[in-house]
Amino acid sequence: MATSPPSTHSVGVSVPRTDGTAKVTGSARYIDDLPGMPGEIFGRTLRSTVPRGVLRGIRLDPSFDWSDVTVVEARDIPVNAILMISEEQPVLAEGKILHAYEPVALIACPDRLKLDRAARAITLDIEPLPAILDIDTALAGKDVIWGEDNVFKRYLITKGRGDAEGRAASEAGIDAALAACDVVVSGRYETHHQEQLYIEPQGFVAFWDDAGVHVTGSLQCPYYVHKVLKRALDLSSERVHVTQAVTGGGFGGKEEYPSIIALHAALLARKSRRPVRMIYDRTEDIEATTKRHPAIVEITTGCDRDGTLRALKARILMDGGAYMTLTPVVLSRGTLHAAGAYRWQDAFIESVAVATNTPPNGAFRGFGAPQTIWAIERHMDRIARAIGKDPVALRAQNLLRSGDTTATGQTLGLSVGGHACLEAALAESGYHEKRAAGPAVNGRVARGIGASVFMHGAGFTGSGERMLKGKVAIDLLPGGRLQIRTASTDIGQGTETVFRQIAADAAGIPVTHVDFAVPSTTVVPDSGPTVASRTVMVVGAIVEGASREIAERVLAEQAAGGGSFTEAGDRLLSREREVSCLKVYEPPSFIQWDDTTYKGDAYPCFAWACDIAEVEVDLDTFEVTVKNFWSATDVGKAIHPVMCKGQIEGGTLQAIGWALCEEVVWKEGLIKNPRMTNYIIPTSLDAPPFHTTLIEEPWPYGPGGGAKGIGELPMDGGAPALAAAIEHATGLIADSLPMTPERLHTLARTA
Amino acid sequence: MKISFKVNGAARELDAPPLQRLLDALRLVLGLTGTKEGCAEGECGACTVLLDGEPVNACLVPVGQCQGREITTVEGLGAAGHLSPLQRCFIDHGGAQCGICTPGVLISAEHLLRRNPDPDDDAIREALAGNLCRCTGYQRIIESVRAAAVLRRADARDVGDPRDVGDARGARDVSHDRQEAP
Amino acid sequence: MNRFTYARAEQVGDAVSAAMQRRAATFIAGGTNLVDLMKENVARPDHLIDINRLPLQQVEETEDGGLRVGALVTNADLAYHPLVEARYPLLSRAILSGASAQLRNMATTGGNLLQRTRCFYFYDTATPCNKREPGSGCPAITGQNRNHAILGASEHCIATHPSDMCVALAALEAVVRVTGKGGERRVPFAELHRLPGDMPERDTTLEPGDLITAVELPPGRFAEHCTYLKVRDRASYAFALVSVAAAVELAGGTIKEARVALGGVAHKPWRDRTAEALLRGKAASTEAFQEVAEALLQDAQGYRHNGFKMALAKRAIVRALGEAVSGRQAS
Repeated sequence: MATSPPSTHSVGVSVPRTDGTAKVTGSARYIDDLPGMPGEIFGRTLRSTVPRGVLRGIRLDPSFDWSDVTVVEARDIPVNAILMISEEQPVLAEGKILHAYEPVALIACPDRLKLDRAARAITLDIEPLPAILDIDTALAGKDVIWGEDNVFKRYLITKGRGDAEGRAASEAGIDAALAACDVVVSGRYETHHQEQLYIEPQGFVAFWDDAGVHVTGSLQCPYYVHKVLKRALDLSSERVHVTQAVTGGGFGGKEEYPSIIALHAALLARKSRRPVRMIYDRTEDIEATTKRHPAIVEITTGCDRDGTLRALKARILMDGGAYMTLTPVVLSRGTLHAAGAYRWQDAFIESVAVATNTPPNGAFRGFGAPQTIWAIERHMDRIARAIGKDPVALRAQNLLRSGDTTATGQTLGLSVGGHACLEAALAESGYHEKRAAGPAVNGRVARGIGASVFMHGAGFTGSGERMLKGKVAIDLLPGGRLQIRTASTDIGQGTETVFRQIAADAAGIPVTHVDFAVPSTTVVPDSGPTVASRTVMVVGAIVEGASREIAERVLAEQAAGGGSFTEAGDRLLSREREVSCLKVYEPPSFIQWDDTTYKGDAYPCFAWACDIAEVEVDLDTFEVTVKNFWSATDVGKAIHPVMCKGQIEGGTLQAIGWALCEEVVWKEGLIKNPRMTNYIIPTSLDAPPFHTTLIEEPWPYGPGGGAKGIGELPMDGGAPALAAAIEHATGLIADSLPMTPERLHTLARTA
Repeated sequence: MKISFKVNGAARELDAPPLQRLLDALRLVLGLTGTKEGCAEGECGACTVLLDGEPVNACLVPVGQCQGREITTVEGLGAAGHLSPLQRCFIDHGGAQCGICTPGVLISAEHLLRRNPDPDDDAIREALAGNLCRCTGYQRIIESVRAAAVLRRADARDVGDPRDVGDARGARDVSHDRQEAP
Repeated sequence: MNRFTYARAEQVGDAVSAAMQRRAATFIAGGTNLVDLMKENVARPDHLIDINRLPLQQVEETEDGGLRVGALVTNADLAYHPLVEARYPLLSRAILSGASAQLRNMATTGGNLLQRTRCFYFYDTATPCNKREPGSGCPAITGQNRNHAILGASEHCIATHPSDMCVALAALEAVVRVTGKGGERRVPFAELHRLPGDMPERDTTLEPGDLITAVELPPGRFAEHCTYLKVRDRASYAFALVSVAAAVELAGGTIKEARVALGGVAHKPWRDRTAEALLRGKAASTEAFQEVAEALLQDAQGYRHNGFKMALAKRAIVRALGEAVSGRQAS
């Protein structure tokens, strides 16, 4: 047929990643690889060394030569506020210090060595105050550092007999439901901080010209930076230009924090009237930037003697750190995932996030869900123990299916792959045989196997996407090419490649005929942030729609005037000069969410997975070696199977690190191990062989024939699967992380 | 102090403080920014280069110690259009995600394959234990190296076929020339 | 980094006399530890003497059947040296259990002996540290001390020595050749490193200007029965929570001699000959190993976060001796 586009398919095929050549030849330019600009100087941040105090002043050593050093203090900032959810966090501390490493002043100088000396020639006059360093002290509220009671946010989700007017009545309802159950089980579960530890530290280059301020940096969300700069520098939108450099990993760590560095660099550039380069070293990056929220989760459940789950009561506490940043949203996602992947008739889930005098915690892959999924999955194992049932059988019995409702009352419809994942992972791993054989003990080494099952909401919570109205533009270029303009960034996960695949198939052209514009707020529309497992599923769907619209116009031209797709496109372009489509996201219309009652469709859909870990535990030293790791994941549709597996394996290893060896060591509000030699992440020798199975239960509203978001999901299940495997091998029951040798040793001693 | 050495086969001479890090000499003086800095303390391996054929951390090597020696960086492994089997396989098999560890990983892998043309997974893991990757979980890296070993053995018989994988425009250049300061 | 001058030495004698002329002179070889310490402003030498050109690169057999290892032999070359692999597998294993391939390619034998502790507080110039600034105090004693000493510590310092190689050298009773003010001398390995006492700033008994030129290994007697067991938080490039170098010489079914050196537990590689002697003439048994372990740890003292190391060390000793006797070396 003359009117049909050339038949090509790149979705579902692992095409070469489009930024691959640049990355394997060393020509990809990350922020610190950009050549120095004329007159460029180097910036640096001076920070508090105490967790709480009163800032009395900033003293510059009068004997030091300050002639070529720019110093920025709070008074140099048009609006001293970082605009995220709230605006209480200052750009530079003014009067009060609320956490160690809080920025107090900025300096810049052409000579890096002199910059070090200048930093030492400045004294921050801070009078220390007693600090609040843990959740319990913050909740007690005797000393208040935020609002009236140190509470950033509370949520309550109720269902069934938990539904009642007011918290007290709801609690009475759930308590009554629990009292009526055959078996009631309670547990308390804890998780710790985690550093994202992307291998490229954060950094920015900033300069000003007639068009306003320009910042280029390592970042996930160009429009977050845009919003913060616009507000603090008191500029109009068109005078702020934010560009992403090639970014060496983010994992949430470059979601909100880059706004601060960009702003700091911009302030120094503004005052010095020179371009400013500001690159964090590893220690500063670990100390100052956000981390995963520590959490305490208390769960009480009731079930029948045969294991049928009935009622869930959960209380979640999270430590938000000194400022709000994204804590309410992290707490929300954690709360929404606290019921796990299971059916409950009755539920009461309450959560609180509090302020402490520690550096603000923020986004990290999973965004609150790994904390609560750790808790509910460990609790499932506890229930299994209590009723003498196999933990996997208990999960299968209660795992949500299509037609079931979640704790928020969401009725699951399409693309519910939990059971398929469970069955695939069990079969691949030989779980039942290994489990039945009992722990294999060889000398002083015991081998065990354990599982977790979980789901993770894809896209923004509730009505988030409806309010956000993410946008993508696609332009027709000469030669039958398309260009995608989006603010969704490639931070390693493969956005550039996958979007090209989606656009290419939608237009019926080869993937090599699609370009991806550098994400710069000057040229790309606001697609929303690169977070929340939303990029492929949500923004990818906009890409698909916009590409299809452009293709339809070319095809209409082809039908009218003949010639090839390219010829028709070129004709159209020469006639109309510009052929573009700016498309806005439209969520599926049936999604209903009530933000006040926290009821309804929390997410458009969920990705599902089953993780199975096989470990060896040394019974003398309690070192844990992960021998094998199986994941079966329902991704809807794998646009690029190799990169999709890469996401799952990489996320899982982050979970393994969190579970076994990563630990931020605190002393009086300061981090004692801010180096890669002592904050340790897994090496190639620690990583197990991964056996990853992709299950495709298409989500009809996802692009490419049904893709769902899976970026965060693989962070959720690793820790509980490992704990279950350690329990199988040794009988040791770990309810808090990390499971380091001495913690297992302590468990063994007290068992 | 005058230092002359070979970098990627070409003789180079520079005048540098003897304790200047080789990493800075490569990046700032010679403009070879393919070698990355991740931790500056010899832990992450992003700055791995070959010094007389052996992998070292360029962040801990004083350039004064490189007098008369030979250095290989990622730029020396192959450029666009002439990718080495290792580079090709890292693209095809998912060995590179964010890419910041990739130059160092490629150097360590290159060293391994020169000594051991047919390494098993344990040997690959051992060879890469000094290169931290936070993205991949290492599985795709190991598969990339394994595939490259096969390709190298085949290429040893049939040199050529520099299949240009990827898009030349992938060499994204957020250069400053289009954002010149006034 | 502070300001310093730099010179290359071509002769051992020149290096030593140059070092004696400046109070804060330091030799630099591989630089893997020193460059990092200088960057962090923990080490502040005013003069660096580059010794890489000194003729100390050889591994050679000695007349008595032992091995002499030049101070500039890299850790990688030493670990993979055929004679070391054959006669001193304990040493190979200890070296390969530490650092990464990249670091082992640069780090030297002499430098490994002189590496500094990885105590958090020693590295953090914002905090006091008696090792870094004598008299300023030791925050580790009441602070985060999970990685710190349980043996031989003092009220001034509870840091541990970080080397794996040195633990093996202690067990093998190596001898360190030193050239200094009074010419050349031989220092038994046990006398090289010192306990912190009231001078924690001094890691070793070396005097200003002293240059380590070689490490000598006595003839290897333990190749068949030795093991290096390292307990750590991850599989590569992590410092030991506890490590054990165990070497046993068997005669018939009984133990003729046993050596046990511990790493990660003290300011120096830890040995106790009295405890080792308990095994002499005995048949190998778990009970006998437990007795040694108890004896080795009898004076151990735990702090808030590292008490677990006492039990861990005991179990590791029993395990390592068992593996050494059975000839199953820990990997």
